[in-house]
Amino acid sequence: MLSGTQESLSRTCVEEYSRPIQMSLITIIWAMSASACLTLAVFHFLVWCRNREAWASLLFSLLATGTAAFAFCELGMMRARTPAEFGTVLRWGHVPTWLIVVSLVAFVRLYLKAGRPWLAWLVCGLRTLALVLNFLVGQNLNYREISGLQQISFLGESVQIAEGVSNPWMLVGQMSFLTLVVFLVDASVTTWRRGDRHRALAVGGGAVLFMLFSAVQSVVVFWGIVRTPIVATISFMGLVAVMGYELSSDTLRASDLVRQLQESKAGLHEIEQRMRLAVEAADFGILIRDFTRNEMWASERWRALFGFSETERLEFQQVLQRVHPEDRDVLQSVLEKARSGYGVYDVAFRAVLPSGEVRWVAARGRVQFDGAGKPAFARSVSHDITTQKKAEEETQNLRRELAHAGRVTMMGQLASALAHEINQPLGAILRNAEAAELFMQDEPPDLDEVRAILADIRKDDQRAGNVIDRMRGMLKRRSLDKKPLDVGELVREVAALARSDATSRRITLDLDVAEHLPPVLGDTVHLQQVLLNLIVNGMDALDGSTRGDRRVSVTAALDGPKTIEVAVNDSGRGVPADQLTQIFDPFFTTKSDGMGMGLPISRTIIEAHGGWLWADNRKEGGASFRFTLPIAEKDTVK
Amino acid sequence: MSEPLPPIVHVVDDDASFLTAISRLLRANGLPVRTYSSAHEFLAQRDTDTPGCVLADLRMPQMSGLDLQSALAQSPNPLPILFLTGHADIPSTVQAIRDGAEDFLEKRAPKEKLLDAVSRALVRDSRERAARERQRELRARFDTLTERELEVLSHVVLGQLNKQIAADLGVHERTVKLHRTAITTKLKVQSVAELTRLTQEAGIFPEQDRTFPKGQ
Repeated sequence: MLSGTQESLSRTCVEEYSRPIQMSLITIIWAMSASACLTLAVFHFLVWCRNREAWASLLFSLLATGTAAFAFCELGMMRARTPAEFGTVLRWGHVPTWLIVVSLVAFVRLYLKAGRPWLAWLVCGLRTLALVLNFLVGQNLNYREISGLQQISFLGESVQIAEGVSNPWMLVGQMSFLTLVVFLVDASVTTWRRGDRHRALAVGGGAVLFMLFSAVQSVVVFWGIVRTPIVATISFMGLVAVMGYELSSDTLRASDLVRQLQESKAGLHEIEQRMRLAVEAADFGILIRDFTRNEMWASERWRALFGFSETERLEFQQVLQRVHPEDRDVLQSVLEKARSGYGVYDVAFRAVLPSGEVRWVAARGRVQFDGAGKPAFARSVSHDITTQKKAEEETQNLRRELAHAGRVTMMGQLASALAHEINQPLGAILRNAEAAELFMQDEPPDLDEVRAILADIRKDDQRAGNVIDRMRGMLKRRSLDKKPLDVGELVREVAALARSDATSRRITLDLDVAEHLPPVLGDTVHLQQVLLNLIVNGMDALDGSTRGDRRVSVTAALDGPKTIEVAVNDSGRGVPADQLTQIFDPFFTTKSDGMGMGLPISRTIIEAHGGWLWADNRKEGGASFRFTLPIAEKDTVK
Repeated sequence: MSEPLPPIVHVVDDDASFLTAISRLLRANGLPVRTYSSAHEFLAQRDTDTPGCVLADLRMPQMSGLDLQSALAQSPNPLPILFLTGHADIPSTVQAIRDGAEDFLEKRAPKEKLLDAVSRALVRDSRERAARERQRELRARFDTLTERELEVLSHVVLGQLNKQIAADLGVHERTVKLHRTAITTKLKVQSVAELTRLTQEAGIFPEQDRTFPKGQ
């Protein structure tokens, strides 16, 4: 025993002496493998430290560390001097093996997102069991007892391999390898089927190949079938290489993504610049309202438009205060409609600045809803349309003036024709009378001549009467076309006609029509004319008024069981009491450019309908023009 | 000059009733009246030698008062025209006055205004008629002059001496003298001053009226 030890000792000395020459190749390969693995491990560990989300890097780092450690163990086994040393190194070699297996399973699960979990647990469980058994049973998991070492030639060098009794518990470890291979195959197939063929081949395929290799080797070596040293490092290295390649191409992809992101950021900046340019060029003000945080943000231009300073905090109520009181309701209802699901709005309103300046603003917006359908944001652009509105108003004024001029011309022609026609017989009467006076002065008077003159005078008087009758007939030539009609509809239609005129003259036009009014018998066109005439008169009455409230209201309601009364009220100065009846006389007018025909014609039309038209002054100020229309008999309405 | 005829008031109106009435009034005021129911009728029956004036309705079918006015202006003895209208509108009033209407009256104008306007028109007619008569008579006298005499006359009225005229025309001074004698005889004038006045009145050398003598 002693001599044996001495003998081996002296042999070791010889070997020590010859080692630098003989062992270089294996040492170089294994040491390089280990250091390469360690380098990769450190690198990926650092990657994980920088980005704690990169769990694949951590697992790879553990795998590489395990491989490096295992390489040293293998090297230790091949260089073992005693069977005990071999056994100890092999026993500790199971620790990196466990690390490799477990981290590989976790890596595959994480990286390929494939593999049956129960298989994964099974692999890890078996491997852990193997590790525990390794420290409890026999000299190590593989050998119950190592009886001796045998020197064999490997890569042109002599290395040690163990000889002894195989440990049956080794099956647990080998089972874990087999289940690992099954797990890997299953994971690769799943990945392949999912369409990710590159990863399935590289990671799954590579892992299967190398694991299969080491599994087979462990079986044939440890059961003593083939006599070679354990060189699992080679296959583990392959595993590390494949996985390292995959991860590094991931890193490349990431840097590619970063570059693309930067490019798109630059593009975004460019787009933002362009947007800003467009918005500024179009003189648009931008407003963004955050409903959830109840905050508002507005561009400089928007603030200038509404007269807010650049630092002032914006509140919705405050903004609303800047809207003209007459436009507030409309604006709010439009916004409400957009908020409650319609999503968009497009509205024009007047803004009143603190300086008192009034601007027309057009706003167009879009509401964005959250997942629950609640409004989250409203974004809008506003711009100043005052000039446009003024031009529109001017055009409308011009049109109105033209229409009026046309009406005046027509009335003027009518009046001229009337005067001419009537002056003809009147002139004859006058001249005849004058002549008769002269004839009567003669001595003796020529009575025959005077008689003839008187007859002519009578005839001409008749003629003048006829002219007037003919004129009247001409005025009411169009016979009334009476049909059952809805007074409410009549009022609404006429109000719609007058609405734009009213708006441009800053007049509020109110309607108050009682519901379910029975129909009346009437000529729509004629009644529209009457109502329009009264509304326009009412608006004209406000022109000279300095009152703040510029309002014309039209009401329609039942007046007794058989009559409907329609009233047109204005907030003007009213009609002087002595003119309340005069205003219905033809050619009576209080307007500088009026013809004095509107009211008499209107009264004629209403009377032809069996109604009555009159004027009142209201207690609260302003005039009220009212007319009645009889309700249609039941049997005339089908 | 011929024997002066009494002036006649011509009334043109398509309105028979008014026509009768106004002619009654004018006649009662001692004015001879002739009535026409249209401008055409008046133009056809017109007697240019008789003095008078025209009272015409502005609005008439076919030929209006304004048309009648321009037709009348073409004649050698245009009668003054007065317009009557049922209702005076501005454009036709302006047009009529611009074209030389004597007056513009509404049919129901006061009697005095009407009669004043008629007598004014008649006065104007007799004055213009006399002026035209004298013009014609003068023209007749000048028409007796020969071309050479007219040429000499043109120099005489510029105040040239016989010697200058002879030099200008390239004739003997004595010949000029003979022409001058013939001129004064034919035109029945006594002096050069009268000759000059008459020449101007007749408008014989209108282009020389405002020019100063040449030379000197």
